[in-house]
Amino acid sequence: MADLDQLMNLAGAEAAFTMSSRGELKESKIVDGSRINKTALDLLAHMCIANMSIATMQARGWETQSDAQGFYPIEGFTLVGMDWSAVTNGRVGVILNNNVADYEAANAALAAAGGAA
Amino acid sequence: MIRQMLAVDGVMAVCSFKDDGTFVEGYGVMGDDQLHALSHFAHDYKRIVQGNADQMSMFTGCNGFTPPTGWIVRGSGMTVCSVANTVCIVDNQEGNLDEVLKELKEAAHF
Amino acid sequence: MALAAELINQPGVIAAGEYSYRGDRFSYKGEMNDDMAKMAAIMCRATTMSEHMQVNMLESFCPNCGSTPPQGWIVRGPGFTVCNLGNVFAFVKNDTGTLNGLMKLMRERIGIVDSSLV
Repeated sequence: MADLDQLMNLAGAEAAFTMSSRGELKESKIVDGSRINKTALDLLAHMCIANMSIATMQARGWETQSDAQGFYPIEGFTLVGMDWSAVTNGRVGVILNNNVADYEAANAALAAAGGAA
Repeated sequence: MIRQMLAVDGVMAVCSFKDDGTFVEGYGVMGDDQLHALSHFAHDYKRIVQGNADQMSMFTGCNGFTPPTGWIVRGSGMTVCSVANTVCIVDNQEGNLDEVLKELKEAAHF
Repeated sequence: MALAAELINQPGVIAAGEYSYRGDRFSYKGEMNDDMAKMAAIMCRATTMSEHMQVNMLESFCPNCGSTPPQGWIVRGPGFTVCNLGNVFAFVKNDTGTLNGLMKLMRERIGIVDSSLV
């Protein structure tokens, strides 16, 4: 089980969540006073899973057409929104304020939390 | 012309839109806001399907995927079908997709 | 194109480019041939179009929650990551650990992405 508290310790974390392989929201934590609600988080989770599937198709096609390897299998998708970024890895995600978002740290934390690994 | 789609079994609503996404007309058992939303969704979805079909064609080198004629998304109770710039919602219990698509192709290209 | 040239000089970036939202033009710099760069531009544009539609839907469930206008996306594979802000993309090696710097630079140079152009 992913440690959402650990993810909420990331700088600028607004929410952390886990999702099913279909994108349904499973566990979630949202910081008090956040503009993000559970309904949005559930839709966001579906969106990230959908984009990982599309990216997986693209990575497959790309690697078939070129010698380049290292794209497949897709590990995560990040949406860079106006004010925040939703970083996902596998079935775990965290939402970070863009002003302080550390994508490298988020990826490492998500991988440690169960991510795609 | 697209209003005639409502005579097809199972069709609950039908809309048409311009290439730039502007709503043209819509009919059926939905409010105006929902008809506009359906048209907006169909326009966006059409562009996504075109993008994915282009990629399929690009990766496989096979002809026949592009340009896509339309798309169908089937839910548990309802199905959304679109051809060109026309989209309709069909009740799965009442409608026959073959018939709906045949009529939709005619209506869309009228 | 000036930005692509700047991005390609960042550590770990193997290719960078720009595409028109209309899908009729693209330019690039880096370790790719023309065909692959065209393919990359098509893939990035398709994902950006899709992202805009999805975020608009998200906005209706969560008005003014900070998602719109969407600025871009990142896809991470085991060896490489693709970053896209606005209509500019970069392919970067994961092991160089320069994703934050790259994102910061792209944000500074591109500014706020205007959804109406998409």
